[in-house]
Amino acid sequence: MEPLLQHLERFSEVLAVSRTTHVSTWDPATVRRALQWARYLRHIHRRFGRHGRIRAALERRLHNQWRQEGRSGPGTAPGLTNFQSLGRCDILLAVRLLDNRALGHAAYHHLLQQLFPGPGVPDTDEETLQDCLSRLARRRSAVHMLHLCGYRENPVVQEESLVKTQVELLLERLQEVGKAEAEGPSKFLSRLWERLPQNNFLKVIAAALLLPPSSPRPQEEELELGVPQTPGEGRQELVRWLLGKSDIMVVFCRNLPARLLASVVGRHPALSRVYLGLLTDWGRHLHYDLQKGSWVGAESQDLSWEELYNRFQSLCQASPPLKNEVLTTLESYKAQDGDFEVPGLSIWTDLLLALGSGT
Amino acid sequence: MPTVLKQLWRGPPDLMYAHSFLQCMQASVKVLHLLPSSAMAQDLVDLSSEYQFWLRKLSIWDQASTLETQQDTCVHLPQFQAFLSQMYEALKEMDSNTVIERFPTIGQLLAKICWNPFILAYERKLTTQELSISDPEPTRRKNHTKLSFTHGPGCLFCEFNESQKILIWCLCCLIKKEPLNSGESKLNSWIRSLLSHILSAFRFDVKEVGLFCQGLGYAPADYYPGLLKNMVSSLVSELRENHLNGFNTQRRMAPERVTSLSRVCVALVTLPDFEPLVEALLTYHGHEPQEVLWPGFFEAVNEAILLKKISLPTLAVVCLWLRHLPSLEKATLHLFEKLISSERNCLQRIECFIKDSLLPQAACHPAIFRIVDKMFRCALLETDGAPEVLVALQVFTQCFVEALEKENKQLKFALKTYFPYASTSLVMALLQNPKDIPQGLWHQPLKHISEMLRETVEGQTTRSHRGGFESWFLFIHFGGWADIVAEQLLMSEAEPPEALLWLLAFSSSPHDGSQQRAQTMVEVKVVLGRLVKLFRSPTLSGQDLQAAASESREADSRPLVCQQLIRLLLLSFLLWAPGGHSIAREVITFMAQTEDITHEIIGFLDQTLYRWDQLCIEAPRPRKVARDLLTELLAQVKHSPVDHVAAVQGRSGSPRPRDECHEFVQ
Repeated sequence: MEPLLQHLERFSEVLAVSRTTHVSTWDPATVRRALQWARYLRHIHRRFGRHGRIRAALERRLHNQWRQEGRSGPGTAPGLTNFQSLGRCDILLAVRLLDNRALGHAAYHHLLQQLFPGPGVPDTDEETLQDCLSRLARRRSAVHMLHLCGYRENPVVQEESLVKTQVELLLERLQEVGKAEAEGPSKFLSRLWERLPQNNFLKVIAAALLLPPSSPRPQEEELELGVPQTPGEGRQELVRWLLGKSDIMVVFCRNLPARLLASVVGRHPALSRVYLGLLTDWGRHLHYDLQKGSWVGAESQDLSWEELYNRFQSLCQASPPLKNEVLTTLESYKAQDGDFEVPGLSIWTDLLLALGSGT
Repeated sequence: MPTVLKQLWRGPPDLMYAHSFLQCMQASVKVLHLLPSSAMAQDLVDLSSEYQFWLRKLSIWDQASTLETQQDTCVHLPQFQAFLSQMYEALKEMDSNTVIERFPTIGQLLAKICWNPFILAYERKLTTQELSISDPEPTRRKNHTKLSFTHGPGCLFCEFNESQKILIWCLCCLIKKEPLNSGESKLNSWIRSLLSHILSAFRFDVKEVGLFCQGLGYAPADYYPGLLKNMVSSLVSELRENHLNGFNTQRRMAPERVTSLSRVCVALVTLPDFEPLVEALLTYHGHEPQEVLWPGFFEAVNEAILLKKISLPTLAVVCLWLRHLPSLEKATLHLFEKLISSERNCLQRIECFIKDSLLPQAACHPAIFRIVDKMFRCALLETDGAPEVLVALQVFTQCFVEALEKENKQLKFALKTYFPYASTSLVMALLQNPKDIPQGLWHQPLKHISEMLRETVEGQTTRSHRGGFESWFLFIHFGGWADIVAEQLLMSEAEPPEALLWLLAFSSSPHDGSQQRAQTMVEVKVVLGRLVKLFRSPTLSGQDLQAAASESREADSRPLVCQQLIRLLLLSFLLWAPGGHSIAREVITFMAQTEDITHEIIGFLDQTLYRWDQLCIEAPRPRKVARDLLTELLAQVKHSPVDHVAAVQGRSGSPRPRDECHEFVQ
């Protein structure tokens, strides 16, 4: 077992190097050996797919390695993160090498010869790397073509294919990170937050939080897929992370559309309390402009009355319990402000009046 | 084709493929082979002119950005792939300097291909026939219609290939192992960028998605399958929603969008990820009166089904065939071709092919049944009633009836819709499975069937010939009944019933006039009388049997039909008579004078065994004899192979029993 694990470690290193300029020192023989290793690991993947213990041991080693790499600096692409990824490690290696401009001419030439031997039917049942790569290319064209004609964005965020795919990837990764290190998910998410375009990230998080609670998968399927998908766990990690990062939570509540937020917090009571707290905070920043006859912000970044009202209204429409919570909260603030019924004195009175006539 | 047949050929307009079928049957008789490359130089000239043509096309297509260019691209995909293959064959023989010299714009050509998603997505098998007609502009080049490059076994034309794979091979041909100067280095680096583009670049304009996935540490290979799956399932649910809710849905799909989607599928139909979308499109009926799906889509899907590149639920296939008749015709012809080119005389296999074609299941829809039936009818007429076609029709009908029973115990469509020209009571009688009736009572339905048929055939004065053919055509669908007659006549010791004799004579020679048929019946009756007498005899010799079958008058005056019927009786006798087994081999050797007769005997044995299996007839000894004889004869035939296709086709040389089966239709 140990030699196998060492092999795995060694290959992970090769994979990590394959994206760097170090490959400039590779000669054709190195390329051939690297591909041979990849083929060997793919064989391992096929061979031990149903061996729970061997799989677990391999995954443990991968996670250990990942953790060490993670410490060495952010931004390293993990490469092999789970048992499943062994099944496509050769494609991963091939694509990385093909894309790496540092690879010398002779080595590249040899790589092409290995990857694309040309026509002629191999006698094996196994799909050749050439086939895998060309299917990848076909799928790429397929995505492109669907985008070009026929495909339209789905207005329901969590059903939108691009978002959905990102959600699936995020949850899968979160789970692996969770296994690899205890405080992993939160640290991992914060690292992502610093690096990725934030609005897209927020949308993906919202869509992930909207996923319906899943039913547990049957054991067999789990074995087959390699990655036990329990989005429930990942979602809890996301909620915990958001609750722990008040600054990010503010951006989350501020930037996402009112209706999307309302449905998200409708599913997660812990978030709804924070959201409501933020909304009332933002409400307090507004004062009544007698001349204009409306509520205005003191500073430009303050939420406008319309937006505030819009958010409260969406919450009231989301679900009856949420509506009750919103109304009770507003009532209590209104009481604190003196329980006026006349408009223009307390923002809570005015919100309640507007909501009363609007809903 | 006899002139009578030509007159008969009332090929309805929807049967436009039937002609090509016959042509293809003729073509397959000749050994198909491409001429060896006689003049390489000439080949290159040809290729150069094609090259110019496609370069112009590619410039017009650009990146498949407009509707017109997409349409034009889709139409030309197979031809383009053929060209690309030729290009590769040429490139791999040259070094890259020669390539650049000969095709200075090769870079431009390849780059344009790399940016065309339709071409990159396309996959298809090219057949040799297609290659020989792959000329994009036949009129442009007058003298060079043959294909230039020859290919050994396992050549790239014989397998499925993705266009982009061939493109990659072309690019690989151009790359230098050790570039000698900066120009060559530049070329190398440019080719590398094209290869990267084909394989991994995330080329559609959603940058943050790519960033997000990369940030999570995923490579395109990790997320493309998932992304495509989600896109497909989103489209599928949109189509379903539209189909169910029609105008009420918020996300109503414009018909142009559906058309455009179906066009995209042409190139991608064989990609497994697309199966759900293909299915959804086929079962989608918009709210427009005219067809919204692109015709090329139907053709591509049909071809993929026939070549087993995809498997769709039967319902979707039925939708395809109902919406696009040429596809149904192609599917039927494909089945015919398969039956013809498969080994003769193996009904089990024929049944497998037929069931595998999905046609019997699809035929539960009367419109489909009638088209397929019409094509069987044409095939029967065109081959002068070849026994192979007859048998195929019988097996098809049997599979169809099975499917019909399976689909609905109570008929969804009236029987009349399947057999509009036949009397319902006759169809009902024929539809009965002999298996459901005790063996001892089989003569009753047979008599009934015979009387009804006779009334139609002989009772009418006008159009009687035509009625005769239609009645015969209907009857021979149901092989179960037709084949039982001889056995029934042999086994009963009573005076042979007139009705059964008539049925026997009619089924083998429907075109006879009543006088001729009466004579056949008399002949058969005489032989039958002798055979029945011999049936229980404990000691039998070959001579006895020959004597029984011999003519009462001078030799060879019996009509062919009559001779064939008597052979049929003799064969049944050999299998069923207790003393027949020991002399079977001897008699058959004597009987099998010509190859045709040998095949007839093989066919009889195979059909008999198959029928006994179908009807669950317990007859261990006759079964063993039949099987042994069949094995022996098959081995014998194998040693002297005849061109099977020619055998099905070329009936003109030797007079066949049903040679004139068309005449009475006049």
